Amino acid sequence: MIAEFHYQIAWRSRSAHPGHHKSAHAGGGFEFYGHASLLSYPDPRHLDVHATLNDPFGQFMVRTFRQRSAIPVYVIADLSASMMFHDKLERLADFAAAVAYSAYRTGDPFGFIGGDSQLRWELFLPLRWYRGVALELYDRLRSLQPTGSGTAGLAQAAEYLGAQRALVFLASDFHVPLAELSTLLDTLIHHDVIPVVLWDSREYRHLPPWGLMQFIDAETGQQRRVLMRPDLRHRFLRAFVRRRRELRRLFMNHGREPFFLIDRFEADALTRYFYQA
Amino acid sequence: MSLAFLQPWLLALSLLAVIPFLRTGQKALTYSSVALIPEDRLSRAVDWLIRCAAAASILCLAIGLAGPYAREQWIEKFGTGAHIVLLLDRSSSMNDNFSGRHMGGGVYESKSAAARRMLSQFVSRRQDDLFAMIAFSASPIYVLPLTQDRAAIAAAIRSAGGRGHGLTNIAPGLAMALSQFAGQPVTGSRIILLVSDGAARIEEETREQLKHAFRENQVALYWIYLRNPTGARLAQKPKNLASGTTPEYFLHEYFNTMGVPYRAYEADNPEALKRAIADVERLENRPLRYLEKLPRKDLSGHCYAAALLGVVLLAFAKAGEISEWPA
Repeated sequence: MIAEFHYQIAWRSRSAHPGHHKSAHAGGGFEFYGHASLLSYPDPRHLDVHATLNDPFGQFMVRTFRQRSAIPVYVIADLSASMMFHDKLERLADFAAAVAYSAYRTGDPFGFIGGDSQLRWELFLPLRWYRGVALELYDRLRSLQPTGSGTAGLAQAAEYLGAQRALVFLASDFHVPLAELSTLLDTLIHHDVIPVVLWDSREYRHLPPWGLMQFIDAETGQQRRVLMRPDLRHRFLRAFVRRRRELRRLFMNHGREPFFLIDRFEADALTRYFYQA
Repeated sequence: MSLAFLQPWLLALSLLAVIPFLRTGQKALTYSSVALIPEDRLSRAVDWLIRCAAAASILCLAIGLAGPYAREQWIEKFGTGAHIVLLLDRSSSMNDNFSGRHMGGGVYESKSAAARRMLSQFVSRRQDDLFAMIAFSASPIYVLPLTQDRAAIAAAIRSAGGRGHGLTNIAPGLAMALSQFAGQPVTGSRIILLVSDGAARIEEETREQLKHAFRENQVALYWIYLRNPTGARLAQKPKNLASGTTPEYFLHEYFNTMGVPYRAYEADNPEALKRAIADVERLENRPLRYLEKLPRKDLSGHCYAAALLGVVLLAFAKAGEISEWPA
């Protein structure tokens, strides 16, 4: 079952294509834009009596309105091997499909760009008004076997987003150095980026209290053996809390609070994220 | 201490000790970012401990398989005692008790048994001496070379407990006892403790040879003469002078002329025997320096023990391993 959420933006779309979002274009809408003479906007339905009487030149004045426009909606997904951790990828599939479906329902064009150290063209979806792509995307992401590493490919994604300001969902676990992440965000500065942090509580909360564990990094292959004990488990938790704080600060500096998608994708939580005060 | 190996080529297996440093042998759990794992000194220490234990176990096993041993060696020891060759008469007359009756009376122990008992006590008191043992009757029986092994000496003395038989033929016994000292450096006093209840005539030629050997080897002779009450006394010149009937007297005379320290003790009952042995014990307490040979020693057991220690540690580590994400 593909979930649906609602989203809004705080900026005006420059797209001429009618849609659901606030736009910079004048046109048929409900948002008052200004007054214009009937000669320049020959739409007598919007004749404004009060403005006409007040006009020093005695022209017929009409009210003009802003239209509502569509915005491009993209999902840029980190498909590196670290997303292999348990069912993170399924969560990503849930989420990407929900975005595709919600964009369709909202009437916005949707695009999908995935990458690890480079862009994964076989998963690329160019910006279109898709109808049934959500399910297809879901299946493709579910059956994916990520092997790559790094986020270098994601940094190239900005080139393929187009000139128009877009709503970009940047989904990753963000287990990359903050400096690298900062440059990635800088490439996307032109767009409205929603960072979606995909974490799994097993990474830090549900570790066993005692035992010898050998960890291997999914991307670098680096290995570490640790002697788990309650104290160390607590330190794992603290490390992730600190990481969460650092990520939040970085994303806030780049314009948006991150959306933490931990263990389960809840569409309503994402809606709340967009409509919170 | 010099080390050697039975199969040195098996030492090549110790190269396998590198393996624990290259891989851990534990199933690795995929983690999204190892860089995020908090730094932990204890974990690092445990990791190293396990690796080192594994490497050490492999090393110990390889060395153990190669069969290390300490070579046989000579160590110098100092003793306060002497080299003592016990020359024990096992002729049939030693089965008699001191009153001369053959196994009679029942309450008296035989001369042989009394001598053995006394010698055993003597030996056990003299912890620093080296003892050899030779029994003789018609011909000498080589029992034990010079040694400090108490258990061996005690067993040798006990072994003389069987029934004696044959004649008292003293000369070959003495020759064999003297041969114990031949070719060995003189590191302390050398004694032949002759325990017999009679003697025999010794040929002129043999006498000369024995005398020569006694002098050459600087051996002192103590003769404990287990006399029958009716037997001849050593010091008393017998009435009928004939070497055939009273060989003891002539032997005593001969020993006196040998020119080496010599003492004779006549013991005609167990108490006298005891006194005689106590006398010998008092006399011979000069310090003694000698070399003792230690046999080669197998050291692979130590290696296996060390390896076991490491393997037990590894077993504990293995038991504590978590090879699957908890559900």
